[in-house]
Amino acid sequence: MSASPFEGVLSLLIRQRGVQGCLVVGEADGIVVDSNVQVGIQSNVVAALAAALYRKARLCSAAAGLSTVGFLQLEAERGHICAIGRDGLVLVTLAEPRAHIGRIRGAMIESLSVLA
Amino acid sequence: MSDEIRRLSEELARDPSSLVFMQLGEALRRSGQLDLGLKVAHRGLERHAHNADAHDLLARIRVDRGELQEAFDEWDMVLRLAPSHVGARKGMGYVLFKQGKLAEAETHLSTAATHDRGDSSIATALRMVRRLLRYAHVAGNGNGAPGHVELLAAQRRVEEEARLLFADILGEGEHTALLLNADGLVAAGLYITADGEDVSQDVGAALTGVRDEALRAVRHLDLGAWKAVVYETDLATVALAPAIDESMVLVAAGRSVPLGFVRRVLDRCVQRATSWLEEVA
Repeated sequence: MSASPFEGVLSLLIRQRGVQGCLVVGEADGIVVDSNVQVGIQSNVVAALAAALYRKARLCSAAAGLSTVGFLQLEAERGHICAIGRDGLVLVTLAEPRAHIGRIRGAMIESLSVLA
Repeated sequence: MSDEIRRLSEELARDPSSLVFMQLGEALRRSGQLDLGLKVAHRGLERHAHNADAHDLLARIRVDRGELQEAFDEWDMVLRLAPSHVGARKGMGYVLFKQGKLAEAETHLSTAATHDRGDSSIATALRMVRRLLRYAHVAGNGNGAPGHVELLAAQRRVEEEARLLFADILGEGEHTALLLNADGLVAAGLYITADGEDVSQDVGAALTGVRDEALRAVRHLDLGAWKAVVYETDLATVALAPAIDESMVLVAAGRSVPLGFVRRVLDRCVQRATSWLEEVA
């Protein structure tokens, strides 16, 4: 069985400081395509919610005439969700508050081509 | 006819004495079928004349039909049946506000706020009424109850203040900011396109959905309160953050503006919005 085309990207992201999990998710259905998450992270829940958030941002932006959404970050008291999408797939990262979002953002943008 | 309305209609047909007429009337009201909703509410009240919520439903339908005085009278009936009915207080406050009777509106809204501290729409309306009252008194030099002229002056001052709330923070930069209330309506700020078109309401209404989705995500993932949502589009960077009373500040900036700068502008706009809203606690 061949390795997932997303394996390299996910293992690169999971090594970033404070990252608890990273996933490739279908934007429309929120179903996990591939993931690399720490023990205790409910990947299905993260996938569904992050995909829904990204999808909503994309639809709302289109409605507001703001064009296509690229990188998205949700910052909360106890963590971050970062997402970037292309061709119906969304690359999602769940990170602790201490995570270096600048680095995660850079790595996610660089990895975008793998979603094509 | 929506599935919900059809289902509720069938249920009511099976049992005409059922209280389901209230759900049906509300569904009709929300779908804009006000004549039908009015008929359903009247028929229901024939069987349940002492049901406060049924009178409240009728009042809300009346308001949507623009029949303010009839709505007020209906809410008055609600208060006779249920003196602590928050919806009636809120509704009466709204009607009195529309009629320019600010002091009376304030009384009803503050009573409603006392009974339901969690309803941000009451808090928002109360702040607006209190701000208008304060400015109307200033316009009248504090001489007696403010009249129509003072009220108009107060409204103009509030509109101007709201429009320019973020102006000094934004300067001449390539960015814009809005304060949106819990329903996504613009409370302050402006969103003007490059063509000079004011699209504040459209943008506000569209982007409120992102806040709702963010709230859902932090709740289910136990991430605590949300602090910001920032995303980049081909044309702009959009940043959202919560303010008091479930309101939200939105900053949009051109792609040439650095992400970190957008965050700083967002933080300053949130502080400004919070101070402005809290001026009239």
